[in-house]
Formats: sequence, C-alpha cells, structure tokens
Amino acid sequence: MITAFLTFLFFFAIIGSILYGRKLIKTEKVDAVFGNPERAKGGIHWVIVGSSFLLLVWLYYSWDIAKSFFPRSANELCQVGKVNESLLSLKYLFPIHERQLKSTSVIETETENLNSIILEIEESSKVNDKNKSILIDFVTKTKSTIPLLTSEKLLNNKTREQIIIITQKIDDLTKNFAKNDYPNESTEDEIKRINASKEEGTWSASSTSIENTVEIPSIPKTKRGLKFQTAAKELTLISDEFFELRNHNEQYSSKLENLKKDIKDFRSGLSSSEEISSSFAKDILKIARRIEYASIFPPSTLIEMQASIENFDEVLKKEQGGLRWIDVFLFPSGTIISSGPSCSEQGSGRWLPKPSDTVNKFALMLNPDIGFKQIPLIWYKMMDVSKIVGFLLPDWIADILPGEYPVHNEKGEIKSNFKSRVLSFVTGEFTLFKIPVPTGHIWDSFLRVFLGLVAGIIVGVPLGLYMGLNRFAKGFFDPLIELYRPVPPLAWAPLVISVLGIDNLGKVFLLFMVSLSIMIISARAGASGTQLSKIHAAHSLGASKWQILRHVIFPNSLPEILTGIRVATGMCWGTLVAAEFLAGTTGVGFVENVAKKYFQYEVIWITIFIMGMLGLVFDITIRKIIDKTIPWRGKG
Amino acid sequence: MKKIISTVLGILFAFTLHASVANAAAKEVRVAYFLEWPSPNLEDMNKKAYAKALGVPVKWTNFTNGVAMTDAMLAGDIDISYSQGLMPYINAVKAKAPISLVDVAMEYGMGGTTCVTSKKSGITKANASELEGKKVAVPLGTMAEYVFTESMKIVGADRKKMEIIAMDPEEGAAALVSGDVVMACLFGGNSIKSATTVGSRLLTVDEARAGGIMGIDIVSVTNKFMKENPGMVKSFVELSHEANERFRNGKSDLKAMSKESEMKVADMNDTLSGFKFLTPKETKKSMKSGNLAKFLKGFDTPRGTVTTKFLP
Repeated sequence: MITAFLTFLFFFAIIGSILYGRKLIKTEKVDAVFGNPERAKGGIHWVIVGSSFLLLVWLYYSWDIAKSFFPRSANELCQVGKVNESLLSLKYLFPIHERQLKSTSVIETETENLNSIILEIEESSKVNDKNKSILIDFVTKTKSTIPLLTSEKLLNNKTREQIIIITQKIDDLTKNFAKNDYPNESTEDEIKRINASKEEGTWSASSTSIENTVEIPSIPKTKRGLKFQTAAKELTLISDEFFELRNHNEQYSSKLENLKKDIKDFRSGLSSSEEISSSFAKDILKIARRIEYASIFPPSTLIEMQASIENFDEVLKKEQGGLRWIDVFLFPSGTIISSGPSCSEQGSGRWLPKPSDTVNKFALMLNPDIGFKQIPLIWYKMMDVSKIVGFLLPDWIADILPGEYPVHNEKGEIKSNFKSRVLSFVTGEFTLFKIPVPTGHIWDSFLRVFLGLVAGIIVGVPLGLYMGLNRFAKGFFDPLIELYRPVPPLAWAPLVISVLGIDNLGKVFLLFMVSLSIMIISARAGASGTQLSKIHAAHSLGASKWQILRHVIFPNSLPEILTGIRVATGMCWGTLVAAEFLAGTTGVGFVENVAKKYFQYEVIWITIFIMGMLGLVFDITIRKIIDKTIPWRGKG
Repeated sequence: MKKIISTVLGILFAFTLHASVANAAAKEVRVAYFLEWPSPNLEDMNKKAYAKALGVPVKWTNFTNGVAMTDAMLAGDIDISYSQGLMPYINAVKAKAPISLVDVAMEYGMGGTTCVTSKKSGITKANASELEGKKVAVPLGTMAEYVFTESMKIVGADRKKMEIIAMDPEEGAAALVSGDVVMACLFGGNSIKSATTVGSRLLTVDEARAGGIMGIDIVSVTNKFMKENPGMVKSFVELSHEANERFRNGKSDLKAMSKESEMKVADMNDTLSGFKFLTPKETKKSMKSGNLAKFLKGFDTPRGTVTTKFLP
C-alpha cells in the first residue's frame, strides 16, 4: 500500500520537477554566460528528480512495485516456475532453447572423444603394438554402436509405442490445460487449499527476525495457479517416464554386452606392467557407457514429440495471459524460479532487497534489544566515571608503592590494605556516578575512523609544515613517506593485524597510516605554497619565527590541510570496512561480513546505506568547518 | 525529438538488462574444491580423468570456504561444489538457493575441523567455562562453527558469553599465535598445524567422536546443471566413488593428491586419517536415514533438496 503510494509519488515528482525545470529555463532571465559558476547554483527540483529516479529504480529492480501492485503474482509465477522446472529435463533434449538435438550433440562430442583417444593410443610409447591394435579395435566397436542407436529400422516396436504414448500424454495435457475448468477441483479441495495457503502466508520477508529471507508461498492461491501446479505434477510424471526410456534394441544391447565383456577380459588378462593399456581400455568403456546412458534416438523419431512439447509451450504462454506481461515488465532481470521444494527469487530481486523489507529489517536492527549479534546498531549504555579514571591513571602507580599486596588469611578472608586500595583506584574498580556513553556497531566504526583521523592530523600537520620549511626534515622524511604513501592502505592490513592484533589498536593504526600520509602531503604543499611576499611583509614588520608560522604560513596552508582532511575521511571509511572484514566483533564492516555468510541481503544493503550516510555526515561537518575557518578560500 | 529517441533508447537498455543465462549444453564443467583438504579424487583431477569421464573439459577452482562456493554457484560460475561443508549448504538451501545435494564427499571426525585453545591461556576441557568473556575466533557459517557450538555444549561453556570474532582459519590461527584470541576454531591441515604449535585441541579426536561431533562434506550441484546434464552428474559421482574405492584399497597415487591439495605427503596422510570415504551403499544409507539425514533434520533443513539417484 505504502509502496504503491510512493511509486506514484516518485513518478509524479519526476514529471513535475522536469516540467518545472523546463519552465524555469524559459522564464529565467539568463545573464550569466557559459562558464559562470552562477549557472550551477540552485536547482532543488533536479535533486528531487535525481533522488526520485534512484528510488524508483530501486523499487523497480527489487520487484517491490510488482509486490505492491500484484501481491499474488509471485505465487502464480511460482506455479509457472514449477511447470518450467518439470519441462526442463524434457526440453533440453530438443533444439528448442538449444542449437542442436541432444542426441546430435552427444554423438558429436563422443565421436570427437573417440577420435582423440585413438590418437592418444597410437602416440603412446608405453603400449605395445598388439595391445594398440586391440584397443583401436575397441574404439571402432564403440563407434559402431552409435549407428545401431540412430537407425530407424532397428528401433524397437516397444520403444516406438512408448514414445507415441508419451507424445499422446503431452497432447492430452495440452488439450486439458487449455480448458477453463482444468483441473476440476472439488469445493472441498478448494477450501482445503485456500486454508493451507492462508496458513502459509504472503510474499514478504520476515519482519520479526533478521535471519529469515524472502518467502514465496508455494501453495497456489488462485485458480490460475492451481492449473499450473497440476500441469506441473503431470509433466513431472511424463518426463520421468521419458527419462527412463532408452533406445536399447537387441542388436545394440548384445553388441554393447560383448564389448563390455571383451574389455573386461582384456583388462584382466593384462600384466601389472601394462597399466596404461588397462586405463585406456577403461576410458573407452567409459565412453561406451556414456553413450549407453545418453538418450540417443533415430533422427526423425522424436519429431512429433518435439512438436507436441512446442505446442504445450505455446499454450503455456497463452494461459499465463496477463501474468506474462507482469513477469516481463515488473520482474526485470530475473523471475521467480521453482527448485525442489520451494520457490525463490532469482535475479535482481534476490540480491536487491525490497525497500519495504529493508526498512522493516532496519527498524528491527535499530531496536537495541535485537541489534545484530546481540550488539545494538547504535544505543547508549551507562558507564561509571571510575572507568575513565582507571583508563587515565597508569596501573604501575600501585606497584611502586611500598608494601605488599594482601594475602588471604586462614579463614579464607582477604583484608585490603592501602596498596590494594590504590590498585583498585587506578584500575577503576570503584563506583562513582554513571554517565551515558554511546555504544554499538555504528559508534565503534565511527570512533575508529575519528581516532585514526585525529591522530593523523595531530602528527601529520606539524610534520608536513616542518617538511615544507626545513631542508633536513624534507630530506630525512621524504624517502620514508614517498615509499609508503603509494601503497594501497589495504595492503598493510594483514601485516598490521598480525603485529598489533585484532583489537581496536590495529584498526586505528591502519587508519592513522592512511590519514597520516595525506595530511603530511597536504600540509607540506600548503606550507611551501605560501606567497613569499606575505612572509617578507611579516619579516619587515618585525615578526618572530613563531609569529610567521602562526599568523602567515599556517593560515595560508589551511585550505590545503582542510581539503586533505576531507580526502582522508573518505579514504579512512574505505579502509575501515575492509579492516573490519578481516577480523572483528563489532563495526559496520563486521555486520556486513557476517550478513554475507548467511545471505542476508537486506542487512548487507543496510550496512552500505549506513556507511554512505556516515560518510556524508562526516563530509558535511568538514564542509561546514571549512566554510567557518577559511571564508576567504576561492576569493583571493 | 532527440529527447524522445533518447528516452526510448533508455527504456530499451533497461530491458536488455533482463538477464537470461543460456548455457545449457555445457561445453565445460566448472568444479569448486578446497586446498589443504585432500580427497582421493584429486588424483583424477591431477590426471585429467574427469575430463575423460564427463566428455568435456573440467575446470577446477579452489575456494577458501563453502559459503563462497554457494555464492559462485548462485552467480552461475560454478556447476559442482566438491566437499562443500554441510553447514554452508544448509544455510544456502535455507536461503532458498537452487542447489541440490547429490553425494557425500566424506565424513570426518575432529581430525580436520577442530577448536584449539592456546597453552598460554591455560584453558583445557576441564576449565572451559573460563572461555566465557574471552575472545574466540570462529569462521562463522562454516562447519567449524558447528564444531564450535557442539564442543561448547560438551564442555559446558556458554557461547553467548564469549566474544566471537569472525575469522577465516588462516587468520584465526595467526590470531591464536599472536595471543589475540584464546581459542580458534579451524579447518585445514596447515592452519591446524600452525595453531597447535602454541596450543592444544580442546577435545581430542576420540573425545569429539564420543560426543557425537562429526563433520560431513557433501557434493552439491546447481539445479539447472543437474536437470540439464544428468549424465555428467552421474559420471562425476561415479568417478569420485571409484577414486574412493582405490583409496580404500591403498592404490591411490598419494604424490598426485598431495600436489593438488598443496600439502606435504605426511601432513596429508595425517589429515586423511581423520576422513572416512563412504562406499556408494553407505552413502545412500547416510543420505536416506543415517548421519546426513539426521544432521539435516537437526538443522530444520527444507526437505527435497537431497537426491540419491546419481549414486552408482
């Protein structure tokens, strides 16, 4: 319902905004020439078009539009899928979707295989001449079994009859299938079916648990669906019957029997030094058995059957009626496929979850009691301030105090002394008052990026400025920085994780490495790009070295530094997700990695969305900072 | 006018995305397998016997876990997965992936998949509840996760209280060596070997067997391939069983196997000693009422995805 409304909304938003945009172009007085940045300003309506288009594409390719306008279509297509599934093993024998008749292609490949085995035998130096001639004789005999299968004259009457019966069955089914009242369901059965299908539920993802994937009800809900299901059942029987059928006439059977026996005798008569000959014989036998297993028939025997299958296919298409159009237009790049006991979405609907389902799952994951793997996405927890004290004070303060830690007495009690009390103070094991702190996957990822970035700025900016101003620093650090900078950050990941561990330290260090090189380069470029005249002016006004650095060089390099921070933020996000893929217990990358293992496509898309949003928030914040701190940028 | 034409072209482009995969007459069979996970049929792979048995070239691609195998099968890049773990298979069919189970590759005790605790942590079977609150590395979604869950039941530790880190075996072993985790659950000979240099198995092979922990690796095929090339599936299964038979009779070419599994012969024999390659009869029994059937039932696997009709 909501989806249908949104579909219309987006559609009309696009049309309306485009019309508005066109009108604006006509009415607006254009005094800005081409190339003037004024021309790119404004244009909210084009933002609406862009985002509505994106959402519409999502709705369309995730088949959410199909679901909201035709909620029963998946169930019906599932029944059609059942028919197609049972037709598959019949159809592939004929040049319907293939270029060749299956018999033809089998004969083609096996003849090729037999020819190549002859070559191998002739070229082999480990097979003696006597064996060679015997083996080649086997190959020739195997080859000569093929005409026995393809000869119209040798075809068994019984086989011929069976083919006619099967063809007749398909024709009957086609005829019945086209009837409106097929399959004549009794009212009793109908009530039973409808109740069962109600119990099964509707086409949607589970909204109570994160684990379940999209369910497509497989019991037919409609009369049309039932029709297809019944036909599918009959077809399965027919196709099984045909699958059992082999064109093994007496001549063929006896010849093959002889061949098998000859090969067996030949192999048992060989000494252990003639292993190669034995394996050649075995390979020939394999080909002979493959020919035996394949359904090879004389060329014109199956023509009628092919025609009746094609005929059924036509009726199948016709009977789908409007469903076919829904399938073509509202199920782009894929369809509902039946396989084994269930139906599933195969195509873009599988890996692109529906917006409605995704929103449901997102709401579910935001619930702090559910979260993902018992950890909320983002929430708060009460933390005692003592933990911060314990984190700030080093533990060795207690160790260097005089005296010993208490030992338990004979009664099994432990009496604390001054030293142990100090220890519990510096380790934060006491209660003060509690403050709320954020927690959860998103917070953890955010914190890692933030810490890495801040550390990179704190170290990188001064170092970069120093390198831009001092010959020693430039010469000393340049080789180091230039060597590690071009290495993609992820290349460090396995190493960093082995050295610094899988905890936050390793990940933050990795991000620090990413941001450091960018910050150094940008600060250095800013420092060396300062206009000499400004420095000279400051000098002549009597500024000290520090004053020049603080008031001339630093403000001049700020634009470069802030651009560097923006670039580093993006790089850090990219690296973080990959680092959390490698090892982790929390973080957005961890969520995505685990979701991938259980095929939870909704969760995967949620994490992608979260990362996009977080990146955007970071970027907007930095843009605001840039506007505040260097308002002169681009205006000098 | 130009705009109308471009709109029409845009719509046409959208419809060409209407993907249709037509590769029914397989000109090449693509098989997934594991390195460091030896099986007798690697000899046939080495000697290209599969290509001869199937009549078309066979391309083998190695994977690091069974989940990736399913992914590749769904994307249409793999037709047959040999020795996929049962857990990834169950997860896949629960997610309605169109794949079927056609054969059992092997059954194994804890020889090849096990949890190793570090010696430094001093945690053994006796005090395993100390694992609670500590970090453990587990390759989630694989057979090792199943072994982990079952082992924790046996030693009486609560897995919910542990900090479970999702790591592939190689990384899990590295984390155990560096002391980042106190226990790593792993599979693969080389990973277990490097983990046991600093730790020991939480449960010995015999203890695990007594506790009913056993792994089953299976052969899965995509339904499309199975329907369209039943003869090839049959030949594949047959040849694998022939290789198993040869192995049981001690006639396998161990050098060829070790080369393909990228293990030393001694290490490979060590891993193989924990494997049981079933006869066709035993396989059928396992699939119908034995270990495999029980396993699938225990995990509420949707029925109808297992077929025995390709067994010799």
